[in-house]
Amino acid sequence: MADASLQGKLIEFKGASLAVMTAHVRETEAVRLADALHMMLGGMPDFFAGEPAVLDFAQLASTPDRVDWTAIISLLRRYQVQPIGVRNLPDYLHDGARRANLAILGPEGISAERPIAPPKPQAPPPAPAPVEAPPAPQPAAAASAAPATTMVVERPLRSGQQVYAKGGDLVLLAGMSPGSEVIADGCIHCYGPLRGRALAGARGDTSARIFSTNFGPELVSIAGVYRTFERGIPQTVAGRSTQVRLSGSDNLHTLEIMPLQND
Amino acid sequence: MARVIVVTSGKGGVGKTTTSASISTGLALRGYKTAVIDFDVGLRNLDLIMGCERRVVYDLINVVNGEANLHQALIKDKHCENLFILPASQTRDKDALTEEGVEKVLKELEHMGFDYVICDSPAGIERGAVMALTFADEAIVVSNPEVSSVRDSDRILGILQSKSRRAMEGREPVKEHLLVTRYAPKRVEDGEMLSYKDVQELLRVPLIGVIPESDDVLQASNQGTPAIHLKDSDVATAYQDVIARFLEEERPLRFVNYEKPGLLKRIFGGK
Repeated sequence: MADASLQGKLIEFKGASLAVMTAHVRETEAVRLADALHMMLGGMPDFFAGEPAVLDFAQLASTPDRVDWTAIISLLRRYQVQPIGVRNLPDYLHDGARRANLAILGPEGISAERPIAPPKPQAPPPAPAPVEAPPAPQPAAAASAAPATTMVVERPLRSGQQVYAKGGDLVLLAGMSPGSEVIADGCIHCYGPLRGRALAGARGDTSARIFSTNFGPELVSIAGVYRTFERGIPQTVAGRSTQVRLSGSDNLHTLEIMPLQND
Repeated sequence: MARVIVVTSGKGGVGKTTTSASISTGLALRGYKTAVIDFDVGLRNLDLIMGCERRVVYDLINVVNGEANLHQALIKDKHCENLFILPASQTRDKDALTEEGVEKVLKELEHMGFDYVICDSPAGIERGAVMALTFADEAIVVSNPEVSSVRDSDRILGILQSKSRRAMEGREPVKEHLLVTRYAPKRVEDGEMLSYKDVQELLRVPLIGVIPESDDVLQASNQGTPAIHLKDSDVATAYQDVIARFLEEERPLRFVNYEKPGLLKRIFGGK
């Protein structure tokens, strides 16, 4: 047996520190969480693609008598978030969490340092619930295998739906309706009517742009520089192929909205 | 396989129940065994429109809670052999609906050999409406030709895309149909109403029909007869066209253009 030395080591335990997504849970009522998640990710039930997450209860608004862990876990699984443990949870709730097979983690979490929160989209306050960007460096394996940083939405985006293309571009193949909201860290490409709120360069990328074949949004924003259209969309671009970009120097950015010559 | 069709809209008062009654009747008249379920728990109305309010003994919630079986609760329609009505409870509220309960009822209807199950959704986007659309295979989205109704329909289409079982399980999405109701061609011509083309452009859902605005609808409700039964009524004809299109027969759109009243009509009056 050449591998005799390995025979005893079919399993080996080593310390490792992993970056993991933290979900700051401020409410334990599953129904209200479900509503909030739906507002945030309505059309994208597979947004998180199985990412593990630690549930952090440090910012809990009120302390509940008990927590329906089964409901919360199944709710998160529905959005393909894999809860692995909890932290900053009041002591008297630990038993319940253990019974639900969640690890109780110290306040410092798994790794010694707190994951650095990415800069929040410095957009004007997005309407219903701001999409909180999950800490960036997570799905190492998945991401490196398929560097698909572009998100494609094939169906019309409806009023009340919200999509966030984390770390890349967003392509809408069937347009978006009034009352919907799209956010991308990169560019937004919209084939079909652009009607809701479109926020590109959400993490501050000033070179991001918005393209649409049928321009008519409620609000556009690039890297936090935004514009609304209370007096209507300018005649030169309304309903036409249009791009939006930032121009000007570093500290004096202005939004430029111009028709695209493509006919 | 029983095909589950939800009639929904988001906004209230656009004609969901009228449509549910006429669509279910139309399918039953074509020979399909059809059930129509009122999901508007607490504000039940379908039984009135179908004219069976005096025969309600058990309701949907009784069946969901196991207090009655489906055979006891289903009310046979007075006009059609193949049509059964499952009324909503008037004394409970929508929280009494559970996903498991609704699923059980739909499964049982399938076992009983129903071809179509029409779910008449309540207005709003809360529990009752979500329960009505959860198990849908097809959706008829009812919209009036005005902006707030269109916006609400858009919202409900989004919910359909995210909360229906088909969406959750990643199956083929719910088949969507747009039905524009209370359409008044003259007011469209005068620019007071959106045209059906505008509505369709805003919602980007295939159009299954346009139902004209008509006093006949109110009259039919008062009589407890689904509008599709009315003789010589544009509304009845329009709903029959909808049924035909639903069954994939070709029908041209009618009642969408405004015809100026002719000289004789202007002199002698008449509708």
